[in-house]
Amino acid sequence: MLYAPIALIFIPVFSALVIYLVKARFIHYLALIAQAAMTVLAILYYQTYTGNFADTFFVIGGWDARIGISLINDPLSLSFVFLSLFTWWMVLIYTFNTKQDNRTFLFFLMFLQGVFLGLLQTNDLFNMFVFLELTTIIVTILIAFKKAGDSFRAGIYYLLLNTSGVLMFLIGIILLYFTFGTINVNTIQEAMQAGVLVTGEEYAVRFAYVLLMAGISVKAALFPVFTWLPKAHGVAMSAISGLLSGLVVKGGLYLFIRMNEMFAGAQIDYTLFFYVVGALTAVIGVMFALTQKDMKQVLAYHTISQVGIVMMGLAHYDEQTAFGGLLHIFNHALFKTLLFLGAGIIIKAYNNKKIKEIRGVMRTMPVVSIFMIVGMLSITGAPFFNGFISKSIIKYGIQASGIKYWILFIVNIGTATSFIKMSQVFFGPKVMTLRIKEMGQRIALMTLAFSCVILGNLYIPISEGFFGIDVSHVSAVKWEAFFDYAVALILGFCFYKLVIEKDPRAVRKIREFNVSFETANYLFMLYVAVMVVYFVLL
Amino acid sequence: MNPLLTFVVILIGFYGLSTSTNIIKSVFCVTIIESGVILLFLNLGNLDGGVIPVIGDTLPVGGIADPLPQALMITTIVIGSTVTALALMLCIKVFHHYGTVEWAEILSRESGK
Repeated sequence: MLYAPIALIFIPVFSALVIYLVKARFIHYLALIAQAAMTVLAILYYQTYTGNFADTFFVIGGWDARIGISLINDPLSLSFVFLSLFTWWMVLIYTFNTKQDNRTFLFFLMFLQGVFLGLLQTNDLFNMFVFLELTTIIVTILIAFKKAGDSFRAGIYYLLLNTSGVLMFLIGIILLYFTFGTINVNTIQEAMQAGVLVTGEEYAVRFAYVLLMAGISVKAALFPVFTWLPKAHGVAMSAISGLLSGLVVKGGLYLFIRMNEMFAGAQIDYTLFFYVVGALTAVIGVMFALTQKDMKQVLAYHTISQVGIVMMGLAHYDEQTAFGGLLHIFNHALFKTLLFLGAGIIIKAYNNKKIKEIRGVMRTMPVVSIFMIVGMLSITGAPFFNGFISKSIIKYGIQASGIKYWILFIVNIGTATSFIKMSQVFFGPKVMTLRIKEMGQRIALMTLAFSCVILGNLYIPISEGFFGIDVSHVSAVKWEAFFDYAVALILGFCFYKLVIEKDPRAVRKIREFNVSFETANYLFMLYVAVMVVYFVLL
Repeated sequence: MNPLLTFVVILIGFYGLSTSTNIIKSVFCVTIIESGVILLFLNLGNLDGGVIPVIGDTLPVGGIADPLPQALMITTIVIGSTVTALALMLCIKVFHHYGTVEWAEILSRESGK
C-alpha cells in the first residue's frame, strides 16, 4: 500500500498510452477500468493510513530524502485526490463515446489526471514545478482541442502567461534550494520552524515566498492575473471547461495551502494581503460576470469570483474560517462542474451560446433544467445546498469585521443577480431542438446534483470525519439563513430589472473591456513588484 | 559569471513579454526567461575550481560541483523545449486562422467577425 501514490500517478498515464496506441474496438473501456482501479486503490490506501498519515512518506529509489523524489499524503491531499477522482469520473462518463477519434481526447484527459494526482501528492519542490508545467502543457492542448481559431488563440495566451508564472515559481525553488540545501517540503518546513537563518537569508526566504506565490496566483487566477481564465474556459469544450474550472484551477489553491504550511516558520503574515487580493478577485470577477452575454463566459467569470471567495476564507489563521475556504473549494468544484456540463447540453441542443436567445429550456429539457437549478441554488448559497455551508462558515469567521462582511454580501448579491439573469433561459414556450438522448450525460449531471445536496446536508459528519473540524455552529434550519438568502435574491432581482436588463453604456463598456497579452504581463510584473514591497521590504 | 547577471537576463525576458506585440516575440521572451533561470541555477551550483560530479576513486582537490542543479536543469530544458514547440505550433495554427501573429490584430479580427 505504501507505493499506491505511484500507481495513482502511473495507472492513468499508462492506460492513456494504451488507449492511444492500440486500435482495438473496445479499448475505450480501458479508461473506465483504470478509473475504477484507481478509485478502489485510493479508498484502500485511505483506510490503511487513517490516523497515522506520517507513515505515508517514502522516497523513490531509496535516495537521501533531501534530494530524492519523495511523495507524501495527508488528509488535505487525499481529500483532493478523492475530489479529482470523482470529477474525472463525471467528465469521463459525460464525454464517453466509443468513436475512434475520441481516443486522442481520452489520451489527454487520462494523462492530465495522472499529472494532476502527482501534483497533489508530491513532497519535493522540483517535482511540483514539473507537474505544474505538465498540467499547463496538457491543459493548453485540451483548450485548443476544438481546433477553432479562438481556441488556438486562447491556448497560446494560456500557455505563455502560465509558463512565465511557473518559471517564477522555479526561481523561488532555486532560492529555497540554495538557502536550505534541499528541495524536500517537509525538511524545509522543519528548518524554517527551527529558525536557523543567517542574516540576509531571511530576505532570500521572503523573496522566494513572493516568487512562489506569484506563480501560484497565475495558476489560481487571482486578481490581476486572471485574464487567461475567461478566454480559455469560454472557448474550450464544455466538459473541459467544467474540468478546468472545477478542478485544475484548484491546483493553484491547493499549492497555496501547502506552501503557506511550509512557510509557517518564516513568520510571514499573509492574511491581510491575500484577503485584499481575494476580495478584489471576487468583486471584479462578479462585476465582469454580470455584464457577459455568453453563457459560458458568465460561468467562467463566476469561477474567478468564487476563487476570490475561497481566498477570502483561506487568508485567515483562524482554523475554522480557513476550513470554510477549503470546503468552498470542494463545493465549488461540484457545482461549477455541474453548471458547465449542464450548460454544455443546453448549448449543444440550441446550438447557441447567448443567454438572450435561449428560451424555454424548462419545457424542452425538464430533467437537465432541474439539475441546473440545483447548481444555481448551490452557487448562490441557498440553505440546504452545499454553497450555503462554506459561505456561512466564512461569513461566521469574518462577521466581527464590518468591511469584510459587506464585501461578501455584495459578492453574494452579484452572484444572485447574474444567476437570475441566467435563469431566464428556463422560461418561455417549448422549442423544437435537436433531441440528444445520452444516458451518460444525464448520469453525470444527476450524480453531481445529488452530491451537492448531500454535502449541503451531511456536512457535519463529513468534515468531522475527514478533517476533524467541528462545524456544527452552521445550520440551515434558522430563519436568519432564509432571510439572508431572500434579501440577496430580492436585491439581486431589483438590480437585474433596473440595471442589467437595460444594458446601459457602462455595462457595455465593461463587457468590451479586454486585457491584451502585453498588459496582462505588465499587470503580472506589477503584482510581483507590489508583493516584493509588501513581503520583503516592509 | 555573476548570478546577478542572470537576473538581468530574466528581467529582459519579462520586459519583452510586457512590451512585444507579436506572438512569436512573446514565445522568444518566454524562452529567454527560461534560459535565464537555467543559467541562474547552474551558476549558483557552480564551484570555482571544482570538477564535474562523476564518481572517481579519489575525491578531487578542488571539490565537486553540486550535481543536483545539473540534474534538475536537464529536466527544465526538456520541458522548455516542449513548451517552445507547442507554442510555435499554436502560432502556426493562429496564423492559418487569422492571417497574422500580432496580438492586437487578432483581437480586432475576432470582434469584427
